[in-house]
Amino acid sequence: MMRRANFLLLGLSALAAPLLPLGASPARAEPSGSLVLYTSQLEPDAARTVELFQKRHPQVKVEWIRGGTNQIMPRLRAEIAAGAPRADVLLLADSLTFEGLKQEGLLRPSPEVQTGNTPAAVHDPDRTYFGTKLLTTGIVMNTRAPFTPKGWADLLRPEARNMTAMPAPAVSGAAAIHVQAVAQAPSLGWGYWEKLAEAGLQPRGGNGAVMQAVAGGERAFGMVVDYMPIREATKGAPVRFIFPEEGVSAITEPAAILKSSKNPEAAAAFISFLLSKEGQELASSQGFLPADPNVVPPEGFPDPKSIKLLPFDAGRAAAEREQDLRRFNQIVGQ
Amino acid sequence: MPRRRWPLPAFATLALLWLAVVGLAPALRLLAEAAGPALPRLMQDAAVWRAAGRSLLVAGGAAALATLLGAAQAGLLLLREVPWRRGLIFLCILPLLVPAQILALAFIQMGGPSSPLLLALGLAPPLGTTNPFYGAGGMILLLGIQGAPLVLLAIAALVRRVPGELLPAARGMGASPSTALRQVVWPLLLPGLLAGAGLAFVAALGNFGIAALLGIPGRYVLLPVLIWQRLSATGPAALTQVAALSLLLAVLALPGLLAQFLAARRAGWAAGKPFQPLPATPLARAALLPLSLYLLLVLGLPLVALVASALVPAMGVPVSPATVTLRHFAATLAPGAHTLAALGNSLLLSGGAALLLAAAALPVALALRHRAIRWATAGADLPYALPGACTAVSVILLVLGLPGGSLVYGTLGLILFAYLARFQALALRPVAAAAARLDPALEDAARGMGAGPLLRLAAVHLPPLAPALTAGAILVMLLAVNEVTVSSLLLGPGTVTLGVLVFNLQDGGQSPQAAAVSCLSLLLVAGLMAAATLLGRRLPAGTLPWRP
Repeated sequence: MMRRANFLLLGLSALAAPLLPLGASPARAEPSGSLVLYTSQLEPDAARTVELFQKRHPQVKVEWIRGGTNQIMPRLRAEIAAGAPRADVLLLADSLTFEGLKQEGLLRPSPEVQTGNTPAAVHDPDRTYFGTKLLTTGIVMNTRAPFTPKGWADLLRPEARNMTAMPAPAVSGAAAIHVQAVAQAPSLGWGYWEKLAEAGLQPRGGNGAVMQAVAGGERAFGMVVDYMPIREATKGAPVRFIFPEEGVSAITEPAAILKSSKNPEAAAAFISFLLSKEGQELASSQGFLPADPNVVPPEGFPDPKSIKLLPFDAGRAAAEREQDLRRFNQIVGQ
Repeated sequence: MPRRRWPLPAFATLALLWLAVVGLAPALRLLAEAAGPALPRLMQDAAVWRAAGRSLLVAGGAAALATLLGAAQAGLLLLREVPWRRGLIFLCILPLLVPAQILALAFIQMGGPSSPLLLALGLAPPLGTTNPFYGAGGMILLLGIQGAPLVLLAIAALVRRVPGELLPAARGMGASPSTALRQVVWPLLLPGLLAGAGLAFVAALGNFGIAALLGIPGRYVLLPVLIWQRLSATGPAALTQVAALSLLLAVLALPGLLAQFLAARRAGWAAGKPFQPLPATPLARAALLPLSLYLLLVLGLPLVALVASALVPAMGVPVSPATVTLRHFAATLAPGAHTLAALGNSLLLSGGAALLLAAAALPVALALRHRAIRWATAGADLPYALPGACTAVSVILLVLGLPGGSLVYGTLGLILFAYLARFQALALRPVAAAAARLDPALEDAARGMGAGPLLRLAAVHLPPLAPALTAGAILVMLLAVNEVTVSSLLLGPGTVTLGVLVFNLQDGGQSPQAAAVSCLSLLLVAGLMAAATLLGRRLPAGTLPWRP
């Protein structure tokens, strides 16, 4: 059954995938030169990632720029329109953005990237982009909320009227995927969004804004990426994160090399580093669920095998993204 | 007034060149992207027209409210000698310093179910009630509040230019003081009112922070939000759509540009004694109470909300003696937090932009009697009406398209250029209104005595225009120091500005630390303004708007 697609399967497919022998290519020259990274990672996380990469490849000098996906993309678009894209590597929230770039022929297929123990399912089969971790979208609730929801459907209960916040799909790639994943799910579908909109759903801002609304008690429930409430709850914020019983949607924060890159060797080395055991442990230490099922998840997360994913047809979602988001915006009155 | 031949054609040419490079070129480069098949499709999009109509309504309402508030403040504080006058003028300008999103969040919190104020009064609506500030009314209110200082400053730039002899003359003819103010002084201040109203209209039209925070949850989408939604859409058509929508926004900005255009129409008057405010009436003293309440609401409230959210250990924890922590302030100042670097960059950029724009505003304002220059300034005002993201994209398109442009790309120079384009209108408008009122006889006299163009600029034009120039520079400084959108798209590797730092922290869900950075930056800018006040004692009276 499709809905049973879970981490167990992802883990099995990883074992089935041919593992590239580590260190079996001594002939490859040590990468060097400068590398420009555009990323939507949080500021301290991006700094730490670059620092550890440079420790391993001291001859590469990484220059990085951090911004929301909705800041990085217009910038990149303008650079491309002016005929001079700057970035070598992109590390952004969701695969659909990359799917679009791939279809425009802007991404470089990179078979030389070493994917380590990460499951093949999180990577593009044509190897133009590579999932680096899993950010799931579930429910955050204020501890003073009138009830504890078990699943997405509970947000339709009359007590939850006007109490649910979610990030705007225009801001958050995770929210955009979530809109489509819920719409694709047979048990939820577009009807779910319509009912939720009637019950006063208000998409606004990014995931940080949703956290603020729920933690501050302006809203009782929110749809949000996992690491924020899990991390804030350990600091004492009055919130709880719930993995709904129907399943969570997930984005993989993929990395890709632009076709225009002047230093693809260093770029490939950077992505290989992200997918290596060290890179995956780094992601876990930053509070993210690593893509590599063998790496221990961060504190506060349940056993990855117990997390259920909503079924998701990525190809269909990429093709229908624009019309889906327009339909969603019409439903919520935007 | 007969049209006169411009005595300094070299300056006029320079002014035109400056406007072309700084204002027109980026705007035109963006609009060039609009050509294409996206345009007709966009014209049939009902959402676009709905957003355009709503934008016009909200900006119009906000401009009217800002004019009302600004004129009331001016009438009370600039024309009457009320107690604590200087301090109050200073405070009336400060709402500009409060970033739009902080003001909006404070009001949302105040009117919402978790409002400490409403809870204390027992009036808090139940959890889940729609916030009264969401929607058109709330946006008009907040945009009006943010626009009021623009009107006040534009009027203040003119007050010093009102001939002091007028009031005694009117009084001599039997007019009561208030009649004299109403019938003689206010008509002379009308251009300032008009310039301020136009500026407030354009500012409200292009405001993104309030439109996003109050409009999106209120299901009332304005054009800047629509532009931003389309900009973040995937696909290569995004830029074309955004350019086309920018064109539409430019058309909507026309009433505001027209108001400023009219305000700068030349009608000089002879400079005499500077205007002296009239003694305060009991009514004026009584009006200080509502003014203080207003200032408490628009300044105190966001400040308290900000400080409160910076002092708690995590989001949503109530403030109490047991929970208060200075941890986030410590983290803000820790090495590696970039706060000091961001502060330095923001001060450099906003100060640099303010100085350059004020320096450029003088020749441009003096050249405004040429029709070509007036049209050029109207075009150069455009980037101020467009959302910051559009300015940033247009600057990327322009600079990377130039040979050697990649040398500037990713440096602070690029952001400075974008700031010059974006804030040109703010620096120019108060000066333009004041320059139109210069007495042409002075210029002729100086020329008759053989003074060269530069000397005339420094000795004849600079002193009477200094108040307007500083008013413009202060506007630029206050708005640029917390600027987010432009710098977030143009930053180079390893650099960060204050606004972007706050945004990044908030984006990562670390809003207590974001609030701590905001507190520090507010403190710093208020300190800078206080320092300017101290230094301002050496400047001619009226140079600083709050030291009339």
